[in-house]
Parts: sequence; structure tokens; C-alpha cells
Amino acid sequence: MIEFKNVTKTFILDNRDEMTAIKNINVHIKKGEIILLEGPSGSGKSTILSLIAALSKPTNGEVTVDGKRISKLSDDFTSVFRRENIGFIFQKFNLISTLSAKENVMVPLIPSNPDEIILESRMSELFEKFSIQSKMNILVKNLSGGEQQRVAIARALVNNPSVIIADEPTANLDKKLSLDFIDIIKKLKDGINTIIIASHDPLFFDLDFIDKTISIKNGEMI
Amino acid sequence: MLLTPEIISILTLDFVFFVFGTIAFFISLKIYLKWDLNATNQRQYQLEKQSHLVATIIKYIFILKLPMFLFFAFTADKLSNVIPGAMCAAGVVGSVSFSSSMFFFKILNLYIFGFWLVLNSYDLKREDLPYTKYKFLLYCVGFVSLVIEIFYEISFFTSLDPTRIVSCCSTIFSASTPILSFMFQTNKIYFAYAFYAVLLLIIVFYMTKRYTAYLFLNIAYLIVSIVSLIIFFGPYIYQLPTHHCPFCVLKKDYDYIGYILYATLYIGTFYGISGAIMSIIKQQKQTKYYNISLASNIIYALIVSSYVITYFLRNGVWL
Amino acid sequence: MKNKFNIHLFEFALSSIFRRGAKNIFIFFVFTLLIFLLSSVLFISNSFKSELDKTVNVLPSIIVQRLLAGRQVSIPTSRIDKLLTIEGVSKVIPRIWGYYYFAKAGVNFSLIGIDDFGDQYKKSYSRLVEKFDFSKLTYKSQMLVGKGVEAILKSNYYDGYFNFIKPDGDFVKMTIGGVFKGDTRLESNDVILLPKQKALEIFGMSDDVATDIVLKVANPVEIPNIAKKISQMYPDCRVITKEDLVKSYQNIFDYKGGLFLVLFVISAFTFFMIIYDKASGLSSEEKKEIGILKAVGWKIDNILKEKFYEAFVISFLSFITAFCLSLFYVFFMNAPILRNIFIGYSTLKPDFILPFSFNFQTFSIIFFLTVPIYIAATIIPSWRVATMDAEEVMR
Repeated sequence: MIEFKNVTKTFILDNRDEMTAIKNINVHIKKGEIILLEGPSGSGKSTILSLIAALSKPTNGEVTVDGKRISKLSDDFTSVFRRENIGFIFQKFNLISTLSAKENVMVPLIPSNPDEIILESRMSELFEKFSIQSKMNILVKNLSGGEQQRVAIARALVNNPSVIIADEPTANLDKKLSLDFIDIIKKLKDGINTIIIASHDPLFFDLDFIDKTISIKNGEMI
Repeated sequence: MLLTPEIISILTLDFVFFVFGTIAFFISLKIYLKWDLNATNQRQYQLEKQSHLVATIIKYIFILKLPMFLFFAFTADKLSNVIPGAMCAAGVVGSVSFSSSMFFFKILNLYIFGFWLVLNSYDLKREDLPYTKYKFLLYCVGFVSLVIEIFYEISFFTSLDPTRIVSCCSTIFSASTPILSFMFQTNKIYFAYAFYAVLLLIIVFYMTKRYTAYLFLNIAYLIVSIVSLIIFFGPYIYQLPTHHCPFCVLKKDYDYIGYILYATLYIGTFYGISGAIMSIIKQQKQTKYYNISLASNIIYALIVSSYVITYFLRNGVWL
Repeated sequence: MKNKFNIHLFEFALSSIFRRGAKNIFIFFVFTLLIFLLSSVLFISNSFKSELDKTVNVLPSIIVQRLLAGRQVSIPTSRIDKLLTIEGVSKVIPRIWGYYYFAKAGVNFSLIGIDDFGDQYKKSYSRLVEKFDFSKLTYKSQMLVGKGVEAILKSNYYDGYFNFIKPDGDFVKMTIGGVFKGDTRLESNDVILLPKQKALEIFGMSDDVATDIVLKVANPVEIPNIAKKISQMYPDCRVITKEDLVKSYQNIFDYKGGLFLVLFVISAFTFFMIIYDKASGLSSEEKKEIGILKAVGWKIDNILKEKFYEAFVISFLSFITAFCLSLFYVFFMNAPILRNIFIGYSTLKPDFILPFSFNFQTFSIIFFLTVPIYIAATIIPSWRVATMDAEEVMR
């Protein structure tokens, strides 16, 4: 359900130089698959994830998610698309440290002006699922690394996205937390959600629940 | 020039409108000429971003224009204390030759800017952003109209002369004013007929799919309502056959009914005109707009009619 | 257009305001101060204006003053008869009045001579004359004083009386027969009403002259004509009509008030620049936050709306706070320092209280001059922030 057709992304740097992040990428990911996107730093993994999340547009080629050609949509529509379909887990969590855990998880829901009752029940549900109910009203900056990780995952899942994206999720974690993360991902596999993990962490290699591995080097698929 | 605090505040906001409006104008021009949704270059991304700026500026101007219109009317009223001969806003405004042009553009802008917001909301609902170019072309037109209005407003304030005597509204709105004279010489009842006739047609065409007709009927309703208010209904509200002023209905003496009258008239005709235009564009009746328009127009008619009826019931005669 | 109000977005905006506390408090205080100054000046000005309007209403139709070498001098009362012959003139009344400088207190009193047998040119004086039985006061050489005068005399140890010094150095002792509160505070506070003979004595004027002569004209439309006739009749006189007075009062206020407002507008635009700058200068923390919002699916419009709520809350709160503070300052504290812009230090009038005068118009003026300007200043910075590339922030 995610398709890249000859996708190229070129950045124009401050000094007017061009930098090609990825070149002629062709990918086909089926619904429900768990994909590992592996390659060294700077190989273009993050760029691919951005394109899937419609956070940026390709310079050439087409990106289709769930039948929708997202490469041509205007900002408003990509934002809504992202809100409804994508759950993004960032490398550095990217939580708003001065807000509480609950407020952070709520953020993606705010623009759609949800009903108070529905909102509360969804929050309870998620916080229970990740065993952090007691941390709901605590400011994120006062949470431990592991707790923040779970808040970040909860936020990514709050909208019931069909695609979950994780960008170097274990880069800032110790081994125990990394294994915790892998555990959570394993539990999320249900044949409906498509999960894409970009990482060069060896912990991810040879994991049995990963359906496919895509290797990227220097912006091109190997 | 009279520099009262009210005038200063109006001119300050006019200045702000002009500056921001001009920024929006240049961007709109660029967008109209160069917009290409399928392009993936830097310029298109810039234009997409800038379209949001224009939309914000237009919303800002429109939201302020509505209360400013009333504020303008009250400022004119307060100025009647300094301009000899004027007893209310009508006298002050009537003292300049271009007052009807000024009001024409003031009212026109309320419709153009409001409609822009309607068109914008429709445009953003569809992925292909179908009305973008036209939207910005419309703004360019609206900007010209805005500048003309501001120009008239500034001219108005600079030409106020506390040493020159002006006529008060009873003289302006009577047969002695050349433009209005024919209206006042005609039998008043015909204007009431015209008003109710248009209203009836609106009700009829509300049920049809003749969008263009509905559009013109609403425009007609706006015109005929204002005219009939001045000539026919006004005296019933004031209970005085010679009092025709369209401004005095806003005063406390008449329970501020003017606000409700002008609000319902504006809402009714605005939704009617916008709804009709969008129906034409989409070839599909925009029922929500039609409903609000009909309801509001009818409420207006009921209110003005009630004054006529209560007068008759109370006094046994017509004016 | 008919969307339900997004309370969550609003709450988020409120929390954002508090999270950037320091910056917002600074803006809040400066903005509140500015609005406070503006509204105070407007309140004082309106207050004075309404007072003066009341005064002006009781002014005579025409005042005739005699000038010699450009200065006002006494006018012979013999001219009254000739003035009565002018068509349209219903009454001609000579006035005895002037200022008495009380050196010790450094204030001027306005002395008005009352002839209890004649017509008073001011209705309020007629009432006072009746109320206090002026004939008795004349008999007892007593005077009626305004509240301000009473206070000044008391504080200078004159208990119930005062010694006026005549031009020739002699004293005229007058005891206080009554204290009144005139129609308008501005006017009556420093006024002393006394028997005409005593006034003439204190001013060193003879019996056959008056300070000036006022005329009552039945039909106001006739006033300009009659004024012209009087000028022709007595070329050495200055003829002032009611309309002249009304205009001059209005002009003073509009001029002073308008001048201040122009100054305000200039400072408002300076403030505009400050807001613009502050709003544009985002910390990396703030930039990251916007990036996060966009990454989780906030549209540009959502961010713009949130920024608008922030701007509106701060500016509106400033407006209300400043407005209330100003009401308190002007009408309870009597506006120390600022009121002097209007009264002027030179007149040395005794103290008085600013009467409460509020209208929705003033509220609107202050609102339109402040809140929309603030919001306008945030339009472009908010837009810049909202259209930032989320991608870059994520890296």
C-alpha cells in the first residue's frame, strides 16, 4: 500500500549547492508488513520516511500511500493525511517537554476538535496499554527515558494510523530500553498496521517478525 | 481638518488595511499569474505558503470591517454636534457630494470580502484547489474597491467643514434632493409593493434550481429593502411621516432595532448571493446557504412589517 | 464558517502563553501601560468636555466687552438703553464680575456681583439668589461661596469670613452666608457670589459701569445679525456670540486630545515594531515545537488560529486591565499629574473632582486603536512561523 515510483529527492543547500538524498527509489510495501529500512547514517533513510509521511515532496517521481498520490497534495491536505494515517516515532522523541504526558499525546487530536468524552477514553486506553497511567499529568521533562519513549509511541498511535514510522528509534536508548521497544513493536503487529523502521542498529537485524528488509546506501537501493 | 479621536481611530485602521491589503494584493497578483498546483518547484511552494498569508489578511480586514461600518455611522452621528445644521449622521454624511458612492463601496466591500471567505472555504475543501486562481483574482478586484472606499473615507473626513451649514436629514430625504426627488414624489405604497413582490419571488425561487435568478433577486432585495426602508417603512418606525433617515433606527430611542434590521438584511442577502454564486459554480444547490438566506430575509420583512401593522392597529390609520 | 468552537485549540493557546511566560508578561505590561495612558487621557478629556458642554448651555447669547488698547475695560451701563432698542433683543443685563487673587493660597477666586433686584443672566444664580434669600445677605454684607472656596479659606485660617483687599489698600470684610454647589463643578468651585455693591467696592469700580454686558436674544438665528449691529453701534467693543464660545471650547479639546492621540498613534506603531520583532524572534525551542505540531498533522491554518488566540488573549486582557485601571485612576484617584495637561498650570484654580462620564464610544475607540493593531503586528510573524518547513526542524 506504500509505493515509490522512481523517486528522487534533491535538496538545495544554503550555498545553492545541490545535494541528492535519494535517487530512483522504487519500493512496494504491502499492507500490514513490518519493514526494516537499513543503511548507514546519511544514506537517505530519513528522507524516505519523510516522503512517506508527506513531510516533504519528491523532486521527481511519485509516492502513493493507500492509493493516494500524496506527492502532489497541497500542505493542508498532506497535514490532514498525516494526521489521519501516519504515526511518527522520532529519533529524539520530539515531545514538547513543557507539556504533560497526556497533553503531548493529545496534540495530534486537537485540530479535529474531538468530543471530550471520546478524548478522555482514548487517553486512558493508550496510557493503560503502555502502563504509564500514573504519569499522565507529569511534565515530560520530568519523565525517564523509557517513559518518554512510551509517551512518544502512544502519541504516534493516538489517531489509529494505518502506517507507523519509526526513525532510528533506539539510537538514544540503552540496550534494555531498546529491547523494550522491539517488544512493543512486536505486539503491534496485527496484519493491519504497516510498520516501517529505519535503523542501523544491529539489534534489528535478523528479527523474525520483520517481513522485509530494504537496504539503502548513498541514496540508492542495494 | 477635524481630528477627533474617532476619526483618528478610523484613519489608523484604514492605514493598516491599506498596508496589509497592498501586501496581499501583490501576492494575489503573483498567485493569479503563476499558480500551478502540479509544479514541484520552489516557486510553487512559496506561493502555496503565501496564499495562507493573503487569506489571513483578508479574514482580518473583513472581521474588522463589520464593526467599523457601525463605528463609522456613530462617528458621523457624533460629528453632527460640530457640523452646523446636521442633527444626525445623515446630515453629516449628506454634506459631501460623494456620500452615496462612498456608501456604495463600503457596502460592496462587505460583500466582496465576505464572499472571498466563502469561496476560500470551498476551495480548500477539494484537493485540486479548483478556485484558487479566481479567488486571488477576486481579491485583486476587491482590493481596488477597498482602496476606492478608503480614498472616499479620507476625502470625507478632510472635507468636513464646521463652518458650513448643511441640511438635516428631513431635507435630504425629501423631494428637494435632486437624485432622490423622483422617489419621494412617487406614491410611497409602490415601494412597499415592490418590496413584498421581490420577497415573494425570493420565496418562490428558493424552491427552484434557478440559481442565477435567485442571485439577482437577492441583489434586488438588498436594494429594494434599503429604498423601501427609507421611503416607506422608516416613517412607521419613527411614527413620523417626514422622518426618513436610515441612520436613526440605530439609536436607543428606537430600541436599537436598526442593528437587527441591518444584520438580518446583510445576512440574508449575503448568504443568498454567495449561495447562489456557489450553486452556479458547483451546479448544485447549496442548501445551507439558501436556508439561512431565506430565514434571514423573511425575518427582516417580518420586523419592518410589524411596525406598519402595529402603527395601524394603534392609530387606526396609515401614514 | 459554522464550525464548532475548538476549545482544545484555545486551551492549547492559553497553555502556550503561560509556557512562554517571561516574554508574554513583558509584552502584557508594556501594552497595558500604553492603553492605560491613552484611555486615561480620553476619559479626562471626555469628562472636561461634558462639564464644559453643560456650562456652555447656559451661556448668554451675546456678550459685549469694551476694549481699550486691546485690553478689556469697564463698559458704561448707559449703553444698555441703546442696546435694548435693537430688534430681537429680549434682555440686556450688565455683569459685574472679575478675579480676585488670594496671594497666600496662590489661587484666583471668581467674584460675581449679584443684584438681587435685577434679572440674573444665569438660571442657577437665580435659584441660588432665591434659595439663600439674597436680600438678607445684602443687608448683612454676606457672600455665597462655592465648595472649593470654602475649603481654601478654611485651610488658610479664615473661618467663615474673608478680608478682601481693595485697590486703595483698605479691607472689605465679608462673612460667608452660605455654601453652594453649582450646576457644574468646573465652574462653581472657585466662585463667590456677593452683593453687587460689594463687588464694585472690591474691584474699585464706580456705580455707572459694568464688567461687560450680556444680551438675551429670543431667536438664535438672529444672533449673527444683532452681533453685527452692536459692533457697528459701538466700534470699541468686542462682541462674542454663544456659537463662538462653543466652537472655541470644542476646538481646544479636540486639539489637545487630538494632539495626544497623534502622539499615541506614533508610539503605537513603535510598539507594533516591538511586537513584530518579538513575535518573529523564535527560540529554537519554539521552532521545534511548531515543527512537532506540523509533523503530527497540524495544518497551517491550525497553527495560525492558535497564534491568533494567543495574540487575542494577551491583547484583550491588556485592554480590559488597562481600561479598568484607567477608570479607577481617573474617576477615583482623580487623575493626578495627567489632568494638568488639560487644565493648564497657569489658571491656578482650586481643586475639583472629575465627574464620571463614560460612553460606549470611548470604549470602542480605545479598543479599535489597540487590539487590532496588536493583532496586525502578529499576522506576518505568525504566518512565517506557521509556514516553516517542518522537515528542517526534525533533523
